[in-house]
Amino acid sequence: MSHNDHNSKATKEPRPPKACGWMAEFENEHDLLHAAEKVRDAGYTKTDAFTPFPVHGIDHALGIKPTILPFIVLCAGLTGLCTALLMQWWMNGVDYKYIISGKPFGITPASIPVSFELTILFSAFTSVLGMLALNGLPKFSNPVFTNPKFDRATDDRFFLYVDSTDKYYNRESVRELLSSVHPSSLDEVLEDASPSELPRGILLGSLLLVLAGLIPAAIVLNMRASFSDLPRWHVFFDMDFQPKKKPQQTTTIFKDGRSMRPQVPGTVSRGQLTNEDPFYLGYDPMKVSSVDGPRQIYVSATDTVLETLQPPAGGDGGTALNLPWLEKLPVEANEANIKLGKTKYETYCSACHGYAGFGDGLVAKRAASLAQDTWTTPTSLHADRVQKQPVGQIFHTISKGQGKMASYASSLTPQERWSIVLYVRALQRSRNAKIEDVPVEQRSGLTDAQAPKTDGQ
Amino acid sequence: MTSKYDLETIELPAKWKASTLFTLGLILVFIGAVLGIFMKGQGSGESAEFKHLIHSYLANFMFIMTIALGALFFILIQFVSRAGWSTSIRRIAELLMWTIPFLAVLFVPILVAVWSGRSVPYEWNAPEQVHSSVVKAKIDIGYLTKEWFTIRSVLYFGLWTAMAWFFYGHSRKQDESGDVEHSLARQKWAGPCIMIFALSVSFAAFDWVMSIDADWYSTIFGVYVFAAGMMAFFATMILISMALQNAGKVRAFISVEHFHDMGKFMFGFIMFWSYIAFSQLLLYWYGNIPEETYWFAVRLKDGWQYLAYALIPLHFAIPFLGTISRHVRRHRLGLTFWAAWAIVVHWLDMTFLVMPNAGPANFIALVGHFIGGAGMFAIFLSLFLVRAAKAPLVPMKDPRLPEALTYANPLL
Repeated sequence: MSHNDHNSKATKEPRPPKACGWMAEFENEHDLLHAAEKVRDAGYTKTDAFTPFPVHGIDHALGIKPTILPFIVLCAGLTGLCTALLMQWWMNGVDYKYIISGKPFGITPASIPVSFELTILFSAFTSVLGMLALNGLPKFSNPVFTNPKFDRATDDRFFLYVDSTDKYYNRESVRELLSSVHPSSLDEVLEDASPSELPRGILLGSLLLVLAGLIPAAIVLNMRASFSDLPRWHVFFDMDFQPKKKPQQTTTIFKDGRSMRPQVPGTVSRGQLTNEDPFYLGYDPMKVSSVDGPRQIYVSATDTVLETLQPPAGGDGGTALNLPWLEKLPVEANEANIKLGKTKYETYCSACHGYAGFGDGLVAKRAASLAQDTWTTPTSLHADRVQKQPVGQIFHTISKGQGKMASYASSLTPQERWSIVLYVRALQRSRNAKIEDVPVEQRSGLTDAQAPKTDGQ
Repeated sequence: MTSKYDLETIELPAKWKASTLFTLGLILVFIGAVLGIFMKGQGSGESAEFKHLIHSYLANFMFIMTIALGALFFILIQFVSRAGWSTSIRRIAELLMWTIPFLAVLFVPILVAVWSGRSVPYEWNAPEQVHSSVVKAKIDIGYLTKEWFTIRSVLYFGLWTAMAWFFYGHSRKQDESGDVEHSLARQKWAGPCIMIFALSVSFAAFDWVMSIDADWYSTIFGVYVFAAGMMAFFATMILISMALQNAGKVRAFISVEHFHDMGKFMFGFIMFWSYIAFSQLLLYWYGNIPEETYWFAVRLKDGWQYLAYALIPLHFAIPFLGTISRHVRRHRLGLTFWAAWAIVVHWLDMTFLVMPNAGPANFIALVGHFIGGAGMFAIFLSLFLVRAAKAPLVPMKDPRLPEALTYANPLL
């Protein structure tokens, strides 16, 4: 753009604008198609048509070659596919192997949706950006707009344009060619005479906007690098300030000025009703002083305090918990309870402890095969020390958890937990059965040698 | 418009004899059945040969049935969308659709097997041998019983025949009068018919194919069978149109634009089948519940695993890349090749759905199954010829015919 060079003093007398090509106007699309074919046959390639609506066959009439965009998009899609597969293979198979219900690591069927998404994402971006790039967009100005007649291209007129940069362009011959197809008007498209440099205001404004856009980033960076004792900024209030009273605040609503309200006399807190019942604890809290005096105060206050106490020195973890455990089951050993215990045991316990209680459940086996050192082997319920535990202690283990084993109090009611204890006892008994345990009529033929042996761990 | 063209070009070639093709089909089916005897000594329960044969027949029946149903659906969407481009190729689809009453007769052997009290192909037909509580429940509520199975099958064929009769009948009446009312009536009923079609095809797929393994269930199964059938239908359309043009017929009516569009549809349904098949697999893979995954387990052993894994490239990757380019879809030989490919993989797909339940894969018996499938396809085409002998191959007085003749795909 040579005219930019002398914009300081020569602006007073503008240079005559340069011609960019010829623009023919037509009444309807048939004339346009006809003209386009003639121009195409004459060998011109730097041409374009402007119509108010898509005209079928115009691409062919103009001799426009099919775009290479589909191939670019195909390549982008394949790149997206490979990116996704590589990413997932590296993340899930190499860098961070994460066990998801025993599924294999790396590329799995679950990788396909992500691969699909990235294929589409890459393709879509490439389609849009590639379309813009191949069309030379965005373009802020085009010489064709200099002619006011051209405004009707979006309304009811059809235009055919031959650009002067065409290999075969000759001002006169193009004019003759276009005249021969009888356009309703034929004009030479003139270069846009208005100055092409950015107005100072826009430049300054954009600069200010860019600088303003840096402010949030600067603030964030500053905050990350500095310390402050002040409360945080409430940029978005959300629910930071709520019309409600919190504990320890004052109020004018009540006479005593306290927002916290004392309990109504006679209130019983949650859990307190069951606090002293051996059925819910597995031991008798009234007798704690008889085995361990100092604990009495804690135990009678709240059961949870017990958990914070250190086990007595020399003990082997929970087994040595010195409490007056229930020795006798508080539930009846009938068929219904055994069945309940079996169902619940198989649902909640067997995954680790195994169906027969040997500590060989599927989870345990899987963990053993992975050989990770964070795993603690589940206890065999036939181990000597479990056999010797009073029923109350087993109940307590289920209720409170033990070592790596979590508490099952939220999943199982006390009745269900006792039924599980009953079932565990039955399992243990079955592995150490004496001849007296077998009904008299079935004893014949059974000898001690055939009786099931204890696993013994 | 009519007078401009030689009316001979819209008739079947004189050499194309339905009876010849039908006889050929019968012979192939017979050869296939004989080869099925090589299944002897495999599996247990019902004699292995019979089990193989009835499963093979069911798979091959579904192979052609889904194509005819694809034709019915194609006609429905042409009218629900008031399509003009397809008018010149629509009659071929109408004739394919109008074979449905004949196909009802071909379903009779399945009903005979059910009513003779056999436990093949449907295990639920022998309730005393059923051990699964799920299947027992489906039998007990009366869904999977031979009476209701028959009633539903009759209902499906009744609905499809009624729809085919309505759409074909109006099309033929328009051949005489050229009355636009016939188009309007079909446009009016196409919408409700699509709903009936969707439900009936879905349930037919459940009853005829999915209930072979009545323990297993997949709510998307009907869509799967539908998607597979649509792909095969467009492939069949392409092959028939090509063959007609090669014999010098309908050249003025079916242009490269129509082939391009049928190719696009075929490409789309290759993708759609893959999408549905994968959706089905992914949920079962993720859930990893034995009662859901065993259907795939059966298909991943005893030799069937080669078929199962082969379907991924054969039914998806290769034809997907093969038909993705418009240049291929506009190329006569290229499109013919991929259409033939699609029909073969559709047969493989139906085999994949049905055959693994008949026992381990046996090469010679499968060759027999393939020959039987070719025979059934020949019979299907002969039924098309029977229909086509009585009607012109183009609806000459359809008001939308000019639209179809000047139709062009936009140049990209």
